[in-house]
Amino acid sequence: MSAILEVQNFSARYGNQKALRDISLEVHEHEIFGIIGPAGSGKTSFLRSLNRLNELIPNFRVDGNIRFQGVDIFRPDVDLSLLRRRLGMVFAVPVPLPGSIEENLLLGSRLHGRNMDAPALIGKTLRAAYLWDEVKDRLQQSAFALSGGQQQRLCLARTLMLEPDVLLLDEPCSGLDPISTAKIEEALIELKRELTIILVTNNVMQASRIADRTALFLQGRLIECGGTQQVFINPKEKETYEYVSGRFG
Amino acid sequence: MKLWIKFIGFGFRTLTGLACLIIVAMLAIILGNIAIHGGPRLSWEFISAMPRAGMTQGGIFPAIFGTAALVLLMTVAVVPLGVAAAVYLHEYARQGSQVVHLVRLALANLAGVPAIVFGLFGLGFFIKFVGGGMDRVFYGGTLAFGQPCILWAALTLTVLTLPTVVVATEEALRAVPTSYREVAYAAGATRWQVVRHVVLPQSVSGILTGTILAVSRGAGEVAPIMFTGAAYYLPYLPKKLNDQFMELGYHVYVMTTQSPDIEATKPILYATVFVLLVLTFALNIVAVLVRSQIRRRLRTA
Repeated sequence: MSAILEVQNFSARYGNQKALRDISLEVHEHEIFGIIGPAGSGKTSFLRSLNRLNELIPNFRVDGNIRFQGVDIFRPDVDLSLLRRRLGMVFAVPVPLPGSIEENLLLGSRLHGRNMDAPALIGKTLRAAYLWDEVKDRLQQSAFALSGGQQQRLCLARTLMLEPDVLLLDEPCSGLDPISTAKIEEALIELKRELTIILVTNNVMQASRIADRTALFLQGRLIECGGTQQVFINPKEKETYEYVSGRFG
Repeated sequence: MKLWIKFIGFGFRTLTGLACLIIVAMLAIILGNIAIHGGPRLSWEFISAMPRAGMTQGGIFPAIFGTAALVLLMTVAVVPLGVAAAVYLHEYARQGSQVVHLVRLALANLAGVPAIVFGLFGLGFFIKFVGGGMDRVFYGGTLAFGQPCILWAALTLTVLTLPTVVVATEEALRAVPTSYREVAYAAGATRWQVVRHVVLPQSVSGILTGTILAVSRGAGEVAPIMFTGAAYYLPYLPKKLNDQFMELGYHVYVMTTQSPDIEATKPILYATVFVLLVLTFALNIVAVLVRSQIRRRLRTA
């Protein structure tokens, strides 16, 4: 398998506060790459570095290398808009924008003006997000009328409308019930045939269920990265064993 | 509980309630007084005809027209300017930077300048400097814009109401959740696109609130326009931007201070104030209706 993302000696800080220290890892094409770790371990900072979204925070500074499809994402001539479309992101809390379900899905076309294939794409992405049957008759309704789980699947579909190569998911199931979580997990397993998924999760079980490989972050450091089976059943590091088994309890 | 604690509690409740009552009573007295004295003088002729016989007869139509035109011109100028400034302050400028600090300081001070100073500023800056300059450059020295007129009066009011619009707009921008902006950025939006597609549509209702406040303020001000464009008496309506105009508030002022026959002008005064209140109220209602329309569309869309 070829690497779609290569991270080398990547560090990041907010002002003087270090958030990530010397991270090196690779994400392969068509895998679900799980990132686990306690709150404040730098998972989200790492994820938001990959599409350079954290640069919106004024004092966020990075050091080191991240290559996406072989290209350094920090190069000055990188098209930030294009980069963020290639690495689509879904946030921890569902954020439907005011407006109808359809208007939400067409956010990308509104921004980048590609309306031709939008209707066909809407059906495809809603099916991929396991939402089609629930909303197909009410695309004109407000997105706020959906339940929390449906909203999050709408957000997933909205991101898929950008036709990204990589999906960045930041604890996408943190506020959802088990059934909604199961639907999203099923959707992700289907989706990895078409794209690559990086899944940050607080839920260790979720990583063990669907991630192909898993990385453990602790206090801004990468503790261990490997096949999910190996990380969970036969971890190399003591901290990994403690974190993973502590949660299994 | 001790009796005196109860007593203090009762006394405090009464005092605070009384304060509210005084506010309502004041407004009721003002409005009632105007309605009682001004009502009988109102007629279709009064609001549709030109003044006659030294303004003691006929109507006040030029003043109504002038006020509406003035406020409209002011709104057209102040809303884009104020919204643009607020968008820069809140969306583009680095928060906490010296520039932002300076602009906010300027706005706070602008809001504290007495209205008459704006009038003198308008006379010195807009009429003498800008208008006089335009006359020299474009009109070969003949008098066109270097005189009091509706354009300069409206722009003077624009400066006066600018802080209101900027502050209200900033408030509206602040109320747009950061998560909305992040969603747009994550979808590849540029900063301008975030402002255009996410922030501004969400802020329209707050911006209109600021507009309503500015209109209310602008329609009632006399001091800024008395040197910059309002006329004592004009037998015609303003047709060009450099025409003078009659205005309701100024009309009240001149009728109060300049009329030789106080008894004859008193009912006209009351009726004029009545019309001014109704006009301001009507302008507000229009803005409120537009706002609720937009709110409903945002909610149900």
